[in-house]
Amino acid sequence: MTRITRRAFAASTAAVATSAVLGLRPSHAQAAYPSRPIQLICPWGAGGGTDATARIVGGLLEKEFGQPVNVINRTGGSGVVGHAAIAAAVPDGYTIGIITVEISMMHWAGLTELTPKNYTPLALMNEDPPGIHVKADGPYKTVKDLADAIKAAPPGKFKCSGTGQGGIWHLALVGWMQAMGLPANQVAWVPSNGAAPAVQDLAAGGLDFCTCSVPEARAMIDAGKVRSLAIMAPQRAALFKDVPTLTEAMGVNYSTGAWRGFAGPKGLPQPIAEKLTATMKSVYDSAAYKDFMASRGFGTVWNDAAGYAAFMDEADKAMGVAMKAANLAKT
Amino acid sequence: MKLSDRVTGLFFCGLGGISAIAGSKLPPVPGQEIGPSVFPMVVGGAMALCGVMIAFGIGHKFEEEAEADLAAVGMSEPEPTRGPIYSLRLLVPPALLAFYVIAIDQLGFFLTAAAMVFVLSTMLGGRLRLSLPLALIAPIGLHLIFGKLLRVPLPAGLIPLPW
Amino acid sequence: MMNIISDAFGLVFTTDVMIAILLSSIYGLVVGSLPGLSATMATALLVPVTFYLSPIAAIATIISASAMAIFSGDIPGALLRIPGTPASAAYTDEAYAMTRKGQAELALGAGLWFSALGGIAGTLSLMLLAPPLAEIALQFSTYEYFWLAFLGLMCATLVARSSPVKAIVSMLLGLMISAVGMENAGGIPRFTFGLPDLLGGIEPIPALVGVFAVSELMRAMVSPEPPQLPRRKFGSILAGQLKLTKKYWWPMTRGNIVGIIIGVLPGAGADMAAWVSYAMSKRFSKEREKFGTGHVEGLVEAGASNNASLASGWVPALLFGVPGDTITAIAIGVLYMKGLNPGPTLFTEKASSMYALYIIFILANIIMIPLGIWMIRGASFVLRAPRAGIMPVILLCCAVGSFATGNSLFAILTVAAFGIMGYVMEANGYPVAAMVLGIVMGTMFEQSFVTSLIKSDGSLLPFFERPVSAVLAALAIGALAWPLLIWLWRRARPMPVRA
Repeated sequence: MTRITRRAFAASTAAVATSAVLGLRPSHAQAAYPSRPIQLICPWGAGGGTDATARIVGGLLEKEFGQPVNVINRTGGSGVVGHAAIAAAVPDGYTIGIITVEISMMHWAGLTELTPKNYTPLALMNEDPPGIHVKADGPYKTVKDLADAIKAAPPGKFKCSGTGQGGIWHLALVGWMQAMGLPANQVAWVPSNGAAPAVQDLAAGGLDFCTCSVPEARAMIDAGKVRSLAIMAPQRAALFKDVPTLTEAMGVNYSTGAWRGFAGPKGLPQPIAEKLTATMKSVYDSAAYKDFMASRGFGTVWNDAAGYAAFMDEADKAMGVAMKAANLAKT
Repeated sequence: MKLSDRVTGLFFCGLGGISAIAGSKLPPVPGQEIGPSVFPMVVGGAMALCGVMIAFGIGHKFEEEAEADLAAVGMSEPEPTRGPIYSLRLLVPPALLAFYVIAIDQLGFFLTAAAMVFVLSTMLGGRLRLSLPLALIAPIGLHLIFGKLLRVPLPAGLIPLPW
Repeated sequence: MMNIISDAFGLVFTTDVMIAILLSSIYGLVVGSLPGLSATMATALLVPVTFYLSPIAAIATIISASAMAIFSGDIPGALLRIPGTPASAAYTDEAYAMTRKGQAELALGAGLWFSALGGIAGTLSLMLLAPPLAEIALQFSTYEYFWLAFLGLMCATLVARSSPVKAIVSMLLGLMISAVGMENAGGIPRFTFGLPDLLGGIEPIPALVGVFAVSELMRAMVSPEPPQLPRRKFGSILAGQLKLTKKYWWPMTRGNIVGIIIGVLPGAGADMAAWVSYAMSKRFSKEREKFGTGHVEGLVEAGASNNASLASGWVPALLFGVPGDTITAIAIGVLYMKGLNPGPTLFTEKASSMYALYIIFILANIIMIPLGIWMIRGASFVLRAPRAGIMPVILLCCAVGSFATGNSLFAILTVAAFGIMGYVMEANGYPVAAMVLGIVMGTMFEQSFVTSLIKSDGSLLPFFERPVSAVLAALAIGALAWPLLIWLWRRARPMPVRA
């Protein structure tokens, strides 16, 4: 993060204050896209990981475009409301949004009609694998200990949380169970309002373990209250080198992840979509983006419009299979 | 709008009962014993119970005591006594909000807001000397605060403000 | 140690941080006082600005804006009976009654003075007791939260001057409203009537704005212009506050302590602290019958508790990255964005930044006093202005403010519907404040209840087994049984006839 010098800051504050008071804005000639402010819709609340990603990318896009990019939080309905708002926007390039893994899940559960096909994909920029976390002073030292205990216990004895019912971390749990040859309901899922309350409940002794991404549990891990046993990814994360993958720790080959990408409503004109994707590529390559994601421990991946479309297609099918197996899909 | 306790009590009794029944009909969540139906059933049941108590006048005494205490310090408000047509004025504020929702996308923020302010101000007995300038200044001021400073997207519509 | 503290002063006393504190304080005061905008919104709308600031300046804007907004939510509550934040809904009627008695400056002065003192007390707890307080927070599993929410909901019967049964029904109605949407354990749409806008549930802010502001506007439509309050000089705002501090030092201290404890518990936050403290104040007051008629005691305790909880809410946020309330949830995002990752290392490796944060808290609560006095003086003109000039502006604020909570027009229709509902309830003796409490607490209540049952496989035993939950359960059941016993006792004896 570059530190802004004091004088530059004072000047910019003064400028912001004056322009806010006088209602001034530097005038731009009516030129090529974008010629006015862009709205970036975020389906999740301010302060969360998706919001942070949207805001860093929005801020960098603003620098590239020379036009304000306003992040607007349209929250509610476990992401349905915001995702619907992106899909329903006028396809003129002035309303785009950040869409998350839930778009490939919600329609299987019958919560919405929206699928990845309702969007013009622009770029995939982040993916985080789930970790397996236990209470630091609990009995499980390795993921193998935990797995053995789960296998030995009757179904439903162990309680796990990390997100709402049928959320991505719930599917991760089910996927892990099935990869070990156990039934989907071997561990009972306790729905929560997101990872933070689940991890707190874990530390308070209310749960046996949690599946959520490592960055989401990071502060508790640093505080020595929670320990990460493994991550469900092909390789270890750069910032958490001492957390092994499932394959390394117990020879179970299973990986999944929560991803975030940018998209516009369906039918975005091609030149505009191409310009957005190209600009996002330079944002992705910028040091500011890399530094920010690294500091929060977020994983970075890049896929351009075509690659992202193919990725979502595949993810959508895989989620359908997984959710049917887990008995979470609407029948 | 003063209704008897019997009416409101029975209303809440019915509302609680309906919610509890509607709640119990919610589909169960696969793999969960306890799902979204528990809460409406508990709350609805309790509400129905309290509704019956109100209908039978339980706890009414406290209200009389409270009113007496308020009257003692000169705080109780007299019930307005005017005709039923006059009471329709009640609905003006909600109606203006509904007008805002309908009109904002076509007319834009400035016109819609100015119309709302003007109507309400006039109906509250404001003279033109007050309501006209207010209808001009209030939308501009709020647009500066919300649209500019807080970056709330307010549609420009027919009369875009010059910033 | 000394050079850490001098480093911290060096970090804070720079031009950019000072400008940031001043501007965001003014911003927080203005936004918090507008009906329809809460402290949470004020903070959320600041996030894009913090993007361009240095880490300390960014945190400073969040701290000062949220502290100011919580206080200034009291101003429209006291002057117009329109609370600015869910927290001030608890004692709006009290403060408004004081204004009607011609004591607006005392009511608002008490809010300002005890908020500032509470904020400083909360900061001290953050400085001196953060690790033990955080350990308390980690004792709280969903069982404890259930009892906590239960105790919070019981305050409904105490905050309103009305029949307790009607207060409970209003509270239950609020709980029922919070059940709308799909934020429930199963993620299943509930009571949405097929409307996609209801999937996200009904936000407390549009409901609050509707039942207080719009119903107040509706009453204004059919009642004659109230007689002008006698024209007199708006008295000194701080005069008398020292006397109140001496007279009510124990309620104030109790408010601070309750605020600190509730603030530390993730998920409870300032909204709940104000309700619990106001209710406690009434319960333990020697002059209970004066509550609701314009009595300052409850304002002292609730104000003291409000801002104390705001500061102590940072304890779990800073130590574990667990947000204490919606404001600290946003603050955590900003901390991460600025490289001040929450965790115990923040207290060791970034100690000077931590001390800088404490200093900012204290500073914000000190400059709250002069700025707040200006704000109160500026706002008090609404007491003299004609209704036709004020009410239209409030209506417009309601529309735009509630739109801004989720950028959806549906919120404005919600406000209108709640306005009608609030008017009818109020006319029939159902306290709307109790309903707001139900809506605010509903999600936490259901979530803790249902997840606890899931975890215990449907058994009620674990609700009483864990040590902290056993204590809370005893408190809750005691508090529930007490008025019942009183009632039975009163019924058993012949009632004295009231004049």
